[in-house]
Parts: sequence; structure tokens; C-alpha cells
Amino acid sequence: MMSVMRFLFFILSSSAFALPADHAQRLERGLKSFQQDVAGILKENCLRCHGGERVKSDFDMATREDLLRGGSHGSVVVPFDAKGSALVQQINHAKEPHMPDDKPKLSAEVIAKITAWIDDGAPYAEPLVAGKKPKRDASVVTDADRQWWSFQPLKKINAKSIDELLLKNAKGMSFNPPADNATLVRRLYLDLTGLPPDSSDQTDLSALTDRLLSSPRYGERWARHWLDVARFAESTGFEQDHDRPFAFHYRDFVIKALNSDMPYDQFVKWQLAGDEYEPQNPLALAATGFLGAGVFPSQITANEVERTRYDAMDDMLSTTSSAMLGLTVGCARCHDHKFDPLPTRDYYAMLSTFTTTTRMNVDVLPDGKVTAAKTTVNAKTNTPVVPGATRMMICGEGYDPIVMHTQGGPFFDKTYVLKRGSPDMKDGEATQSFLQVLSKPGDAKRWQWQPPKDAKTSGRRRSLSNWITDVDQGAGALLARVIVNRLWQHHFGRGLVPTVNDFGKTGTASSQPELLDWLAGQLIANGWKLKPIHKLILSSQAWQQSSQRDAKKEAVDPDNGLFMRFVPQRLEAEAIRDSMLAISGLLDETMFGPGTRDENSKRRSIYFNIKRSQLIGSMVAFDVPEPLVSQGSRPTTTVAPQALILMNSPQARQWAEGLAKRIQPAGDAPKQIAMAYRICFNRDPKPDELATGAEYLKSGASLADYCQVVLGLNELIYVN
Amino acid sequence: MNALSYSRREWLARAGGGFGMLALSSMLEAASNPFAPKVPMQVGGKAKSIIWIFANGGPSHVDTWDYKPELKKQDGKALDGFDPKTGFFPGSVGPLMASPFEFKQHGQSGTWCSDLFPRTAMHVDKMCFIHSCWTGSNNHSPALFKMNTGETRMGYPCVGSWVNYGLGSESDSLPSFVVMSDPLNRGLPKGSAANWGAGFLPSIYQGTWLKPKGAPIDNLAVPASLTPQRQRAQLDLLAKLNRSALAESPIESELNARIESFELAYRMQTAAPEAFDVKGEPEHIQKLYGLNEKHCGHFAAQCLTARRMVERGVRFIQIYSGGMENQQSWDGHNDIAGNHRGFANESDQPVAALIADLEQRGLLDQTLIIWGGEFGRLPISQKSAKPGRDHNPHAFTVWMCGGGVKGGYHHGESDEIGLKAAIDKVSVHDLHATILAAAGLDHERLTFKFQGLDQRLTGVENPKVVKQVFA
Repeated sequence: MMSVMRFLFFILSSSAFALPADHAQRLERGLKSFQQDVAGILKENCLRCHGGERVKSDFDMATREDLLRGGSHGSVVVPFDAKGSALVQQINHAKEPHMPDDKPKLSAEVIAKITAWIDDGAPYAEPLVAGKKPKRDASVVTDADRQWWSFQPLKKINAKSIDELLLKNAKGMSFNPPADNATLVRRLYLDLTGLPPDSSDQTDLSALTDRLLSSPRYGERWARHWLDVARFAESTGFEQDHDRPFAFHYRDFVIKALNSDMPYDQFVKWQLAGDEYEPQNPLALAATGFLGAGVFPSQITANEVERTRYDAMDDMLSTTSSAMLGLTVGCARCHDHKFDPLPTRDYYAMLSTFTTTTRMNVDVLPDGKVTAAKTTVNAKTNTPVVPGATRMMICGEGYDPIVMHTQGGPFFDKTYVLKRGSPDMKDGEATQSFLQVLSKPGDAKRWQWQPPKDAKTSGRRRSLSNWITDVDQGAGALLARVIVNRLWQHHFGRGLVPTVNDFGKTGTASSQPELLDWLAGQLIANGWKLKPIHKLILSSQAWQQSSQRDAKKEAVDPDNGLFMRFVPQRLEAEAIRDSMLAISGLLDETMFGPGTRDENSKRRSIYFNIKRSQLIGSMVAFDVPEPLVSQGSRPTTTVAPQALILMNSPQARQWAEGLAKRIQPAGDAPKQIAMAYRICFNRDPKPDELATGAEYLKSGASLADYCQVVLGLNELIYVN
Repeated sequence: MNALSYSRREWLARAGGGFGMLALSSMLEAASNPFAPKVPMQVGGKAKSIIWIFANGGPSHVDTWDYKPELKKQDGKALDGFDPKTGFFPGSVGPLMASPFEFKQHGQSGTWCSDLFPRTAMHVDKMCFIHSCWTGSNNHSPALFKMNTGETRMGYPCVGSWVNYGLGSESDSLPSFVVMSDPLNRGLPKGSAANWGAGFLPSIYQGTWLKPKGAPIDNLAVPASLTPQRQRAQLDLLAKLNRSALAESPIESELNARIESFELAYRMQTAAPEAFDVKGEPEHIQKLYGLNEKHCGHFAAQCLTARRMVERGVRFIQIYSGGMENQQSWDGHNDIAGNHRGFANESDQPVAALIADLEQRGLLDQTLIIWGGEFGRLPISQKSAKPGRDHNPHAFTVWMCGGGVKGGYHHGESDEIGLKAAIDKVSVHDLHATILAAAGLDHERLTFKFQGLDQRLTGVENPKVVKQVFA
């Protein structure tokens, strides 16, 4: 502990370090020793793991600056103080881990030389690795750090269309020819609504796009994308995985917001601080479910209370920063971020936003008034006292926190800066401010919102939302880039920035930086409305081109980062099941309200209740991720359980029978087959498909057997 | 997914380690395993399969494998300076308590064992004990998560998922990572599926939980509305139609994989029930495990299933001994004597049989058996109706057997009363690094890119493989 303190003190203010009076003579002596012996000793015994081939425990000895900075366990060498240096204790085997690791103990003579050299100030004549420069000090954010492309203000791009910008970078290639109308209609339906076309008579694509964008099915489809990012679920996780029976309001909020084309900046503001914007508006309150959707233990021992609280706040901050800013801020919890300019102090300054934020239940009364949740009539059904009232789980301040089985309180009044993430190593109280790298220099108070005198909240979350949406001074430019990239991702199967949740240095940079900035600019110019951006993308030649194979393009651009062809995408789990229900004529279009875990439900898959310990089998089989942390993109796997569902599950048989019932009246077998293809694939069967199908039916198979086969065809779950 | 290249994507589709991947023999060669160590492992590397017997609830090391004569001497004395927050119940702190069980030395190694495991004790010269384990939480679910995933928080990939991600599957008709839980209605380990989840790894790497009642795997049986013949005809038609649409598709290999996945599913329908059919074992084997004994038959069936799975190329099998907590599992807060006697009785014969059976089939050397819980228990008593012991995160014993570990070897020590690990301490990350090494995986190279970092099972604190445990 002592050495850690000393270490920090040293970095923060090296001038405060007391130099011995004879330091000049000592350093001179040390330098000689370095050149004669010590450099060689360190190179032979230490450097391989600490700055040579690798840097174990984040401790790098290649330069003096890095040596003195220490490693992940704190200070290693204190100049002029061999006794107080961990290194000396470790090579003497007085402290674990003993050093050098996996080698015999150094000889007494060698240890004496190192000890004397440290007492002489541990000077270097040159780096141990020729030409190596000390690492930057990650606790300070500099102008150089702000040069990273995603931290820059949006560039003004003069362009008229997406296609123009893509063609500029196309390495001489051009778009594939447009896909045929039937393919495009099916692509458009599945993309915007997650359901296949319900009639084949569609020639005006622009009008169809508008119609589908205003369909309630659009919100149900696109809300699911956001719910992955928001790690949304309706249970606590951990040991008991208790249900959160009133958490579904958040899911409904997302659907409603998308359907009404709520401006994205407002969408963000409400999720962070809906209760501070409109404390009496149920929709604004429901939006805060975003913060409360994470896991939380239901049994907390006395010595876990504080750490658990920091975990809960970390979940809010990490999800906010991954989902909205594409930054892995959570990494800075224990140490300054290794790659991005996100110092630990920034992390805790941000974290303190949520000091008093907790999950709470409120009741919305029949007259629309919001009150604290009253005791329930029936503990099992959790029915509120007032008939007609709706109970809602929100996440904010001012009502009674939902309390789990804990040996402590729901929160602490203060948030501290923690060393190495440990509540046992507090380093002063954290006060709210925002990421330096995304703040124009100036007074951080400009974002601060002072709640009215009678408000129940601290104002801190609304302040955060002011900063995060501030395009000119704060994080707004990045916020816009991240969301337009997500839209692009779900239209094309990959983002312009492929690492959709990581716009930092470990992410993959945009293949189309100008296009990204242009789209972000369009979003802001359109009042942050998403539907106009969808329309822009869907009307482009880029999106409407065919998926026709072109070996030359595949060679030049294997990952399709230049978007000169369309790559077929497998539908997600929800869209697969919803398509089956629609095709079989069984789909129940009831919107909103509590979900179910019954696989026999006929409602859209977004209305499955999400209990973390009992995820829906057919969803998981098709790659629905565990809702634990923000997930930007899903993997696409092809495994046997998916096939087993289509072969043997009771649902698959119901779908097949449903489709059989629809095509039965069409007439003879060829007519029935033709109808099945039109319903499923929006096209007529090819002659061989017709012949093969008719032959199969002639052999005595039932129409339902045939329909089950059609539902298993690749074409059904791939968008061409 | 697009962060991964197409070749990686194909690797996932074909060699995915979870339930029912499409194993291609070429994929199983070490050369095609991207995580195999570049230089051959100095130690370990022999285990092709791992059977992890998870003694759920926190078995007491001082009453099982970590003999502490000092406890007998100090029986009844208060433990000065003890932090009452060490365990779960700060208000029930009692004095030091001698083990209620008799300890004797066994085997040529002279290993001290309590009388809880008379049959397993016969194998001590093949077993390797780590007495200096410690963990990061005194509470069941965080400690379970820690032991399974390396983190006390929920949501990280478990050891079985990592092993499957690293090694792929050797079975073309069975899930390659299975989990068996208590079949006697005593609940699931706390945190349930999160203990065998894939976290941020693709979900194909998650463990397949075999349902203890009814059909162990969903959708395996042909529905009553079909017949096997009709289903075969369906699949033939499906393959024919799917194949004719393949040509010229830019994602031909992915579509092909999907055609194959239906055939694999078809094979699984017969292969999986066959693998679970322990009643088909010869009588002497059933007897060896105690399959028809009332006190241990349920656990015998699980151990025997584990052996059958190992024979069929399943990589990772985890069996939970005990249900959720308190008297439902090894969580002996109350009546440690009765609690531990009961769970030892259920598992001693089947575990001993598993060791003997694998050995006689020549499989023990390539199968690592792990036995341990999420933490240990305190040397002091917990005041209750009959004295129990509270949780102890600071010291516990894990043993391993087979898979190339050194028999009769004891690594590390707890202090003289068993309160804290004292000599050659082994963290959970060290233990995980060692398990991966046993399977031939280098824990520093077995990484997965997530949230901008190369994530790994063993974290950033430089854990070490406990090399001494390997022969």
C-alpha cells in the first residue's frame, strides 16, 4: 500500500520527490555501474519478460522512465531507496513473486550490484532496448490524443449521395447491376420489418420503402437491434435470477420511439435521464430502463456490498459508452486505458454520474399520474393496489430503490476514485465530469443541469446527456457517427466501421470515413431523425445492387468494405421465427405488454420474455447472444440444433401445417407448389423445383411434409 | 461476425466446439488449431477430454483432503484475530473445531484422507492434490462464476467453452461440451446456466445442459406426426433442392455447411440416445459404479455417462455433485458431519469407479478428472443446531487425476489450521492456466477479440501454470 502511494505521488509530481543532497555524485557512480555491470545483468535476467520480448505485469524496464513508472502491481523501483524498492525484495526472495521468474536466485554479488545501483538513483546511460522511447503517460489527455479520427469534429463533406462517395473509393470497380424487383421487394421487407412480403404486387420501391418505414412492424424489427446493444433482459441474473416483471416497458419504449421516429438525440437523452426531462411522462420514465437492464446479484454479503455497487455503476457506464459512443470505457476501471486516451480519473468522474441511480418501481395511475409503487395486493401477480394502474420498472433517482437480499444499503452517497478498481484503495472522491478527449477545453459546467428546487433527482444524468449529445463541444459528433454506422451495419451486414462497438484504437477504422461523416452530418441536419437516413441508404444504388458473384471483386475486396456488391445475409433468430409464423399464417400481431417464454406463442419474437437463466432455446440456437454486456453484432453459426428445430420441434410442424392449409386450396400439386414459392420466396418456382416437388408429393408424402421441407430451404433464411 | 475473416467464419461453422459442430478430420489436426502452442508444451498437453466433478457448495478441505492435526489440538479454542466477515454469516462465528471424521494414510504416497471417501482413497497414488487454492469471493454465485469463468461477475466464457473454442470437437454426432446437474430435484448450482455459458464467445461454445429428467436434449426425437422414413424422404428432398440452388452463390460454403448440418442432426438422433444408454453397460460395470444402488445410483449414471462420452470424443464434461445450497449441496453450514457424509456417500463409489474404469480402458492418461468446489470451509465452527462450517475463500483443495498429472503428488499447503493458503498459493487463474496446459492449450495464446481487447480466460495478472503437477 505504502509503495503504491509513493508510486502515484511520484508520477503526479516528480518534483516533490526528495532528492538526497549528494544525488549528483550518486547518479554519476550509478551511471558507471550501469555501463559496467547493471545493464548487462538486467538484459540477461529481466529484460526478456519486461520490455524485451514482452511486458509482463505491465512492467517495462527498457527505459528509466518506464522502470520508475512501475507495473500493474505498483511501484517496482524507488530511486535512491533500494530498501523501499519491491524489486530488491523480490530478487532477495523476501517478497512474492520471486524474481527472476523460473530461474535460480541471483548470486549475492549480483544482488549487491543492483541494490547499490538503485541506491545511486538507478540511472540509465541509454535504453536497454536500443532506440526505445518511454510510453506516454496515459493519465494525461493531450491534443495529440484528440487527433484520433473518431474524436474529431465531423468533417464537412460536399457530396450529393452515398453512391458518389462509395464510387470515389471503389478502386476502379463499379456497382453490381440492380437486383431484380422481386428480390428487392423481399430484401426490403425483411430488412425493414423482419417479415417476408405479404403481397407480390409492388413496383414502386420508393413508395414501398415509405410504407414499410411507417409500418408498426418496422419498430419491432429495429428495436431488436438496439436491445442487443442495451443488453436488455427481464431478470436479475446471478444466483436466483429473479424476474423483473415490469421491465418490459423499456422494450415497448424502444419500439414506440423508433416507430414515431423520435429524434435520436432525444432517444439518448431519455434513456439516460428521462425522469429528469419529463418526470410525469411514462414513456420518458420507461426509457430509463436502459440503465437498469443489467445484471445484479440477489444475495450480497457484507464485504461485497461496496464492490457490487461499483459493479452496478460500471454496468451503467460501460453500456452507455459502448452503446452510444462505441468506446470501451470500462477498461479504465482498473488502469488508464491501454490504447485509448481514457484515464482512470475520467472513468470515475463519469461513473459518479450514477452515484445515486438505482432501479425503482413506479405506478402509472389511470389518470396518467406517476406515483411511487404502492404495496401490492398479491405478491405473486404483483398487481398494483389501484385498479387500472400500470407498474413500471425505471432506473433513476427519487423513488424507493428495489432492494435485493443484501447485508448493506442500495447505494453509497459518494463515489470514489479507486486504485486498481478496488474499493479498499480509495483515492479521493470523484466529482462528475466527462471524457476529456471528447470535451472541447473550457468550463465543464456548460453541460451541468441544475434541477429545480422540488426535483427528486441530482441532475447528474441530465448533465451527462447534455454532454453526450453536444455536437460542437461534447461527444455529439461521435454519437452521430456510431448510430449511423449501426444503421448501415443492419442494412449491409457490416458497418462502415466493422467494429461497431469500438471506435477506439483497437477497433477497425472506417473503410469509408467521408461517407460516415457525411451520413452523420445528414442525421444531424435532419433533426436526428433516423427514418430519412434509412431512406437515403435504401434508395442508393449500393443497397439495391445484386448479390451476383464477381471473382474479380472478391479478389480486390474480399470483405466487401468497398460495398461494390451485395453480400447475402442470414436472417437473425427473431426474423427467422417471425417469417415462419407469417408464412404459416399463424402470426399474432398483438403489440406491447408482458412477454412470454412459451415457444408456442404466436407473437413476434421480440415479445419473448428474456430471463437470463432460461433463454429461449430456438433463439439461442440461432445465435441470440447472452444479454450480459452490450453486443454490437451477432455471430452467424451453422450448427445441428438449428436443423433439429426445423426437423423435430412441435413449432416447425405447426408452421408446416399452417402453410399447407394456406396452399391447399390452390388446386393441383403444381399450383400448390407455385403458391408456396410465392409466399415463401416472392417468386415462382423454377421448372426443376416444380418437377421435384410434384414428384415428391406423388410418392404419397403429405402436403405438410412438403411444406416442412420448403421451410428448411436455405433461401428462406438468407436475404439475397 | 464481420470482424472475423471468412476463413475464421468457416472455422466457426465447421469446427465450432459446441453442440453438434461439423467435425472434419483435417480440422482436428494440431496444425489447423490456431491456438495450439507454437512450441510443444513443456508440460501437460496429454488430456483430450476433461471431466470436472464440481463438488457444489464448497466442500470442506479440512474434513476431506487437507489433514490438520493442529485442529484437534486446538478444538474448542476461539480463533484470535479472526475477521467475522470472512464467511457468509458474521454473526455465527464459533471456535476452532476438529474434523468429525477420522483421517488415515493411504497408498504408497502416504496421503492423508478422511474416512469420507474409502473407495476414492484407494486411488490416491494416481491423484494429484493442490492444497493451496484460494478464490475471490465468499459467496456462492460469484465464487462459482470465478471457478468456472475466472471472473466473479456474470457473463464471461467458462473453461469448457474456452477449451472447445481452442480444440474444436472430436465428435461428429454429439455435443462436445455437456453439463450434468443434480437429478434429485435439489436445484441447480447458483447462477445456473451462466456457469456453463460462452459469454462473449460465439454461443456454439456454450455447454449443453443435459436435462436430468425426460429427454436430455431438446428436439432429438422424430415427432409423432412423422415417421423416420418420411423424415428421411424429407431430408433427401431438402438436400436436392438446396444443392441445386448452391451454384454461383457468393456464400456457397456457408450454404453447404447448412446442408451438412441437417445430415449431422439426422445422425445425432440415434447417436445421442445411444451415448446416454448406461443401462446397456455390462453388469460388472454397472456394479462397479453402483448404478443400481439407492445411495449413489443417480451419480453413478452421470459418471458412467461421462465415460461413455469420453469414448465418443466429447471434450468437456462437467458433473455437479449436489444441488443449490445449504443442505441441498456440500454447503455444510449446519451439521457438517451429516452433510458431508451424505454427499460423499453419493459420490465416492461412482468417482472411484470412473477412475478405475478409465484406467482399465487405457483412457485415464488422456482424460483429466478434476474434483473441487467453488471455495473451502472455515476451520472454526458455525454455530447452528449441529455445528457446521461457513464459507472460506482463502484456502481449499482441488485434486486432479489422469491427463498426465503426477500421481500421489501434493502441491502447496494451507496454514496449520487450514484458514489460509500459505505455501505455493494457487489462484483460480493459475488453476485455469494449468487445466488449459493439461489440454495442450497455452493460456496466453488462447485469446478472443472482444471490446477491443484480446480477452483470455486467465486475465491480466500473469497467472502461472502449476508445472509441478505434471508428470
